[in-house]
Amino acid sequence: MAAEVQVTIVTVRDIFQDEAGRKSRFSDEYKNLSALIILDKQDMIRLEAKDGQKLLVKNDVGSVIVAARTSEDDMHPGLAFMYNSPWSNQLVSDVVCEGSIPEFKNIKATLSTTEENMNITRISELQARMQS
Amino acid sequence: MAICTGCSLLCEDIVATYENGALTHVKNLCRKGHGHFQAAFTERTVPMIDGEQVTLDSAIAKAAEILKSAKSPLLYGWSNSTLEAQAAGIKLAEKLGATMDGTSSFCQGILMERILSGKIPSCTLDDVRNYADTSIFWGSDPSSSHPRHLSRFSYYPRGEKRQKSYEEERTCIVVDVRKSATARLCSNYYFRVAPGGDAEFMEAILAVLEGKIPKVGDKKKMIELGSRLKKTKWGAIFPGPGMIYSLQDKMELFERLVAKLNEITTFKVIPMVGHYNMRGFNELMLEKTGFINSVSFKGGAAVHGPEHSAMAAAKTSDAALVIGSDPLSALPFGTAHALARLPLIAIDPRRSLTTDAAKVVIPSAISGLETGGTAVRMDGVKIKFEPIIDTNLLSDEQILTRIMEAI
Ligand code: SF4
Repeated sequence: MAAEVQVTIVTVRDIFQDEAGRKSRFSDEYKNLSALIILDKQDMIRLEAKDGQKLLVKNDVGSVIVAARTSEDDMHPGLAFMYNSPWSNQLVSDVVCEGSIPEFKNIKATLSTTEENMNITRISELQARMQS
Repeated sequence: MAICTGCSLLCEDIVATYENGALTHVKNLCRKGHGHFQAAFTERTVPMIDGEQVTLDSAIAKAAEILKSAKSPLLYGWSNSTLEAQAAGIKLAEKLGATMDGTSSFCQGILMERILSGKIPSCTLDDVRNYADTSIFWGSDPSSSHPRHLSRFSYYPRGEKRQKSYEEERTCIVVDVRKSATARLCSNYYFRVAPGGDAEFMEAILAVLEGKIPKVGDKKKMIELGSRLKKTKWGAIFPGPGMIYSLQDKMELFERLVAKLNEITTFKVIPMVGHYNMRGFNELMLEKTGFINSVSFKGGAAVHGPEHSAMAAAKTSDAALVIGSDPLSALPFGTAHALARLPLIAIDPRRSLTTDAAKVVIPSAISGLETGGTAVRMDGVKIKFEPIIDTNLLSDEQILTRIMEAI
C-alpha cells in the first residue's frame, strides 16, 4: 500500500505564479505553477516521491492531484506549502467561527502517491465541481 | 508616466508603450506589474448572458433585472475598483438594500480597522523611506507580493535621514513560517514561527523587551532581536496575511506589542494590502457607513456583522454582483460553490473562474490602463491616475451607474 503522510499546508505567494495567473487562469503555465505542493525532503522520502511525482492531497473538504516539489527551505517535516490558487482552495473549509478568517494557512491534509496514469487536476474539473 | 495598479504600492513611475495591441516597451515595472500590463490584450471578456455573447445594453439590462428582483443581493469585490466606482457601488447597495463586502473581510480587515481608528499608529511609505532604520516583515513577503516595496521604500533607497541605507543603516527583520524570498535577503534576522505560532512569538518579544527570559525561540537570538528593537530609532512593521491569519482574534496582542515598542522608541505599522484599492474601499465604507466592510443596507440603515461577510452572505443571498474580483479562484471551495449557484453578475475586464460561472458578464476597462480614477495606496496616500490606452469600454463606475439607472 502506498505510504500516507499527514501534513499541515500553508498557502503562500509566488511572483512567477502570480504573473502567470494575471496572464491567464486557464493556461498550462498557471496550472503547472499552481497545482504544486512543496514538501520537506524527509516527507518526500517517506512518500517515496520524486520531484514532479503526482500526489493525491485529501482532507474532509476536498481533494486534488498535484505535483510534488522538494523544498529548498531548511528542514520542515510535516509542513507543506502550496501557492494560493483554486487548487489549494479545494482544501480550505468555509466553516469558521463567527468573524474568523478561513484557515488558508493551516490546512490539515493527507498525502499519498497516485497511479502513474492519474492526471494533475485540471482547472476545468475544479470549475465543474464548483458549478455542480 | 503611468501608474501600475498591479498591487497596492501603485507605483507612479511606469513608462509603458503599447503598439498594435502589444506592450512594446516598459520601464520600472516589476515582474508582477509586467504581467498586469501584458494582460491588457489577453482573455478579455465580452458581454454575455448564459454563455452567449450579447450586446452591452442587453447585459446591463439583464444585470439590472436580476438585482431588482433579488430579495437579498450581495455586491462583492471592490478592491480592484477606483474610489469613484466604489462610491457608485455604495449608492447601488443603498438603493437595492443589498449586502456589500470587499476582499478585506478575508485578510487585512481586522488590522485595517485598528489602523483607521487610530488604535495602531501608522505612517506613509515616504516616511519609511526617509526615516526607517528597521523594517519588520511579519507574515509578509514583499519580494513576492509587492516586489518594489524594498527598492522604493523599505530597504534599498536613500532617504532624508537614511543616506547610508541598507549598506549601513537599515535592518530588515522577517518573521515567517517559511524562509521566503524576503527572508533569504534578511537571513541574519529571519525568525521562523510554527503555523499559528505568531501569538507565542509576540509574547516572547514582549518578554525580552521587559528584560525577561522568552519562553519560545532560540534565547540568544531572541535577546539579540530585543536589543536590535531597542536600538531602533524609527521602525516600521509590515504585517501580511501570515500574521493576520495566525493571530485572528488575538489582534490585541499585536496592539500591545506595538504600544510596548512605542514606549521605547518609534514604531509604525502599514498593513501589506494586496489589491490596489482595498484600503480605499475600507476608508470609503467607513466614511459612508461607519464600518469598513461586511455591511447590509437591508431595511435602510447600514448594519455591520460577520453574517454580512461575503462568506456568510454567499449562502443566504439570492443573487450576487462581483466586480473586479475572482472569488471562485480565491475563496474556499464551499464559498465558491455557493456563489456559483447564484444568478451571478460579473463585471470584469478579463476572463476568470467567476466570469465563466456568471449568468451575466459585463466587460470593463482596466483601471490605470484604460480608465482613470483615484485609489488609496496601502499607506493611505491618495493617488490619481489617467488612462494610457484608448478604449471604448466602460469603466466600473459607468457600468454601475447604468445598472442603477436601469433599476
Ligand atoms: S510593485 Fe506593485 S505597483 Fe509597483 S510595479 Fe510592481 S505590481 Fe506594479
